Amino acid sequence: MPSKSQVYVSALEELAVGESRMVEAAGKSIGVFNTGSRIVAVLNLCPHEFAPVCRGALGGTTLPSKPGEFIWGRENEILRCPWHGWEFDLHTGQCLTDRSKLRRYPVIIRDEAIYVEV
Amino acid sequence: MAKPGMIIDTDLHPVPIHERVAEYLDEPWRSRYLRGDRGAGHPNYFNPNGVMRADSVTADGRRIEKHPETMATHFLDVYDIDYAVLNPMEVMEHCVSPDAHYSAAALSAVNTFFVEEWLPVDERYLASITIAFSNIELAVQEIHRLGDHPRVVQVLMASGSPFPLGHSYFHPLYEAASQYNLPLAIHPGLEGVGIAGSGGTAGFVANYLEWHTLLATSYMTQLVSLVVEGVFQKFPTLKFVFVEGGVAWLPAMMWRLDKNWKSLRATTPWLTRRPSEIIEEHFMLTTQPIEEPDDNRHFRQVLEMFKAEKMLMFSSDYPHWDGDTPDFAMRQLDSDLRDAVMYRNALEVYGLEVGQYAV
Repeated sequence: MPSKSQVYVSALEELAVGESRMVEAAGKSIGVFNTGSRIVAVLNLCPHEFAPVCRGALGGTTLPSKPGEFIWGRENEILRCPWHGWEFDLHTGQCLTDRSKLRRYPVIIRDEAIYVEV
Repeated sequence: MAKPGMIIDTDLHPVPIHERVAEYLDEPWRSRYLRGDRGAGHPNYFNPNGVMRADSVTADGRRIEKHPETMATHFLDVYDIDYAVLNPMEVMEHCVSPDAHYSAAALSAVNTFFVEEWLPVDERYLASITIAFSNIELAVQEIHRLGDHPRVVQVLMASGSPFPLGHSYFHPLYEAASQYNLPLAIHPGLEGVGIAGSGGTAGFVANYLEWHTLLATSYMTQLVSLVVEGVFQKFPTLKFVFVEGGVAWLPAMMWRLDKNWKSLRATTPWLTRRPSEIIEEHFMLTTQPIEEPDDNRHFRQVLEMFKAEKMLMFSSDYPHWDGDTPDFAMRQLDSDLRDAVMYRNALEVYGLEVGQYAV
């Protein structure tokens, strides 16, 4: 098994809340997101039909509610696939409406810079 | 074929003697009813063969469905039916009439007629309360008037409606029905009549064959609307009985709805789980007109694609032209489904006990 490498993404201060960067590492396309409370990295591949999921919108979503009630929340934590609109919780990788998950990668913050371990 | 433990017919069609119904009406409604007013917007698609079976007549020339005694001896006895849910015909036009006060009065009289003049004749009969859509307050009053009668087992309304039944306009009905633990049944036949939408959702079809085939689309519409609008989050004990709306389309609609929900959940955040799970908990389907593919195994496979063992109930539709006899329906089912479909599911949804009323 090849040893893992750490791939530079950006300076920490350059990735604002709600923004993302794409990096190529070990032949993989990986999206790195700032959700406000965490920096997360996911494979740019939707587990549903293999869309480039990281090109979807990062935002919030409607939280569980009573009929006719709409409560917005989780701003910047939900990635919405550009193809079918499946929502993924970036903090867990879990799809909100399906068993499938995004593939996640460890993020390392060192010397005020962001690295992804691949 | 051996009879299962019991047979419960969830869709039997009596026709009231209108002169008797009129006795339960005050003026100005009585004379209108006697003169044949069946609700504004009444004309319907025409079946040239007749909707009522030509042979539903006694030897002395009486229509069987017009008398509780003849219905019992010529149908219930013949097929050894233990209970039958009465869904009155020649009156449901009022359900979709825009003439709210007259229709509510007429249906109220019809409901009283069946409670007073059919239920006492034979303990196998169970009654539905038919209500009209055009004034929900009056419909709710009618549910409260008869909802706690021990042999009233459901609220009956048309499958065609001015807008789909998930809409909040209808929710007071669901609140009232929930209070009495009554399921809500929808029955076809009024599509394109009065304030009901057209049969096919693409518009008005030309003839009865098209119209009758596409009645299933009303049920698809009502199913999706009821689930997506969150009716079962608001009324968690409520059940719907989809009478005579077909069966085989259900798995496909469940798959389609689940697939769309995966993409569009955020538009209906109260749907916190797959819509098909809600469907399996809150909907019952009746068998007739049971689908008859050339290879019956295909129909049996469809029944494996949803919880038929919990959701399907036998219905005859007697004396309508497209009815199924109990023995015919039973032959379409695998043996391990027969008891559930022929009576067990109906016992549960209608809150009956074995031998509770049956003589």
